[in-house]
Amino acid sequence: MSILQHNGAAIVCMAGKNCVAIASDTRFGLSQQTVSCDFQKVFKQSDRLFVGLAGLATDVQTLRNTLKFKREPALALYELREERVMKPEAFAALLSHMLYEKRFGPYFVEPVVAGLKDDGSPFLCGMDLIGAPVYTDDYVVSGTCTPNLNGMCESMWRPDMGPDELFETISQCLLASVDRDALSGWGATVHVLTPQGVTSKQLKGRMD
Amino acid sequence: MDLNSQEFYGGGLKEGEVSTGTTIMAVAYDGGVIMGADSRVSTGTYIANRVSDKVSHLHDKIFMCRSGSAADTQAVSDYVRHYLGSHAIEVGKPPLVKTAANLAKRICYTNKEQLLAGVIVAGHDDADGGSVYVIPLGGARPRPPFAFSARARRRRRRRAAAGTCLKVPFAIGGSGSTYIYGHVDHTYKPNMSLAECKVFVKEAVTRAMCRDGSSGGIIRLVCINADGVEREYHTI
Amino acid sequence: MAALDLDVATLKPVETGGFDFGMTARNEQIAAAAGGRPMPQPMSTGTTICGMVYDGGIVLGADTRATAGSEVADKNCEKIHYLAPNIYCCGAGTAADTEKTTELIASQLELLRLSTGTQSRVVAAVTLLKRMLFKYQGHIGAALVLGGVDCTGPGLYQIYPHGSTSKLPYVTMGSGSLAAMSVFETEYKDGMDEAGAVALVKNAIRAGIFNDLGSGSNVDVTIIRAGGASEVIRGYETPNDTAPLRAAYARPKALIPPAAATAVLSTVVSVSDADAMEL
Repeated sequence: MSILQHNGAAIVCMAGKNCVAIASDTRFGLSQQTVSCDFQKVFKQSDRLFVGLAGLATDVQTLRNTLKFKREPALALYELREERVMKPEAFAALLSHMLYEKRFGPYFVEPVVAGLKDDGSPFLCGMDLIGAPVYTDDYVVSGTCTPNLNGMCESMWRPDMGPDELFETISQCLLASVDRDALSGWGATVHVLTPQGVTSKQLKGRMD
Repeated sequence: MDLNSQEFYGGGLKEGEVSTGTTIMAVAYDGGVIMGADSRVSTGTYIANRVSDKVSHLHDKIFMCRSGSAADTQAVSDYVRHYLGSHAIEVGKPPLVKTAANLAKRICYTNKEQLLAGVIVAGHDDADGGSVYVIPLGGARPRPPFAFSARARRRRRRRAAAGTCLKVPFAIGGSGSTYIYGHVDHTYKPNMSLAECKVFVKEAVTRAMCRDGSSGGIIRLVCINADGVEREYHTI
Repeated sequence: MAALDLDVATLKPVETGGFDFGMTARNEQIAAAAGGRPMPQPMSTGTTICGMVYDGGIVLGADTRATAGSEVADKNCEKIHYLAPNIYCCGAGTAADTEKTTELIASQLELLRLSTGTQSRVVAAVTLLKRMLFKYQGHIGAALVLGGVDCTGPGLYQIYPHGSTSKLPYVTMGSGSLAAMSVFETEYKDGMDEAGAVALVKNAIRAGIFNDLGSGSNVDVTIIRAGGASEVIRGYETPNDTAPLRAAYARPKALIPPAAATAVLSTVVSVSDADAMEL
């Protein structure tokens, strides 16, 4: 098993009509042994921007803390200087460069970025562990059960879903996928982003 | 350390690296030199380039035949071309082939751990006429034959450690050259005419290309003498 | 993260560059602890890319599939990268390497243009790229097909990850290069016109898409015209477009979850700050 699979994760982002959703499981494990069921893998960057980090837990938290304590002051300065919040496109590029800086000693993390653009339309971006970006307009997945998630999303996703529809679809995709993955599951959390605000929900799922 | 081992010869070909598994050759004749090469560049068994030019220009009348790693030998020839250009401007006259060969030797030798480059530097200058220098793989030399005394072998090894750049009447190199040592030793005559020399080079490279899987394509000839430089190519 | 650390005296970001090898030793320890188990591999573009010279410039072509192992990571990625208004570059190999290397060289070329006030030369781009790749001794896995037009006319090069280059009238690279090359070796002629060249490039990429498992999806084409504007055509041909398939497919009811299908344990709603919205 690769080190990326050591702690287990399932993260998925989906685009709707003027909304975007990001969902993750909450398991933290050491290979097959489940250690905790409330491990955070999706992090809020702003009201319109969330980032999901799947991979080695130590690197998930290091990268998250780097984003929080080193980038946030810089982001605050950016917002003061530019007089606007950072666009999701710019944040994805920033994260991509942060990862590529460590090209020859990478964080074992495969991030996904979900956000709303200035016009309220969805922005989705996935990345590999050295920051090669993948931009999509439907869905993007990451973690230990990407084949399951890809299959679920391929059949469940449809264009122009509203926030409620989007929530049901992404939740069912995630829950069905993690039920067939031994390394992820044990609870799930979903965030739906709209220009009006963010709705965050804890899901009831199988705990085995 | 085994002097024939790859570690002694430097880096070796890296995974997926492009090689000019090659036949190259340079011969001094009466009045100049002729350089010849095949044109095949391969990555494993795939021919990455079938019309490449392995005879690189170093200065107006000085060229380099490259064998070994394509990336390494291109880098070496780029450096020599750069230094030689500056040198020529500094001295205000065309550089000597000897100078070019010594530059190439120094670059090959000082970086021998990193490089896989066996090159032949040849050309024409007013001081020496046509001349050919060979810089074998690793900037070092063939193992001293056992016919020499132990003391002579030590001396030769020390000299080898200083990097070798041999002035020779003619030189062959690359993987294909192993097939034609006997042929060239038998056929070579000193003081050939231009026409005789062309036939000699063309014939030798052709024979190597026919036997060696990593040599092939077309035969490129570069004829350098007091009158200038002429390039030609032949298909087989 | 030195790049955004602040210099206390000037309150300006400390300017640093290059790679950070800080975690390399740790990762080697992890690899050693993992024994023979595989280490994570970066996403690659097991690719078909190609280019050719025609009598009015250069045509470049690429497929649009990116793979992570045997999984298709991106069905419509962009592999023809901008280097300068008159120079473009197709990338195969490690996706991040082709992306970032071409971005870096594009910015160096832009600075060079601003300081010299002249159009970028194709050889300048090739030299910058080969020097960078040679310096990293093949560890930056970028295999490139570079094409451009400058004051010396059109120029087409292939650049290998170790830093060797060659200049040719038609080139292919990537895992589908053999399929694409077979098309060029059959059809290529010197001095073709633009329509013929674009058709040939398209056919070469199609050969890769349909015969190489690492390549797939769509054909992207970029035309760089001598004395004219460059044209980037995303999705020049889309033989594997899924949109019509999806549209034609009647989705079973079971695939559309009804409202409140998901059991929710807790909900938190946060309303966006109206002032922030103004920004």
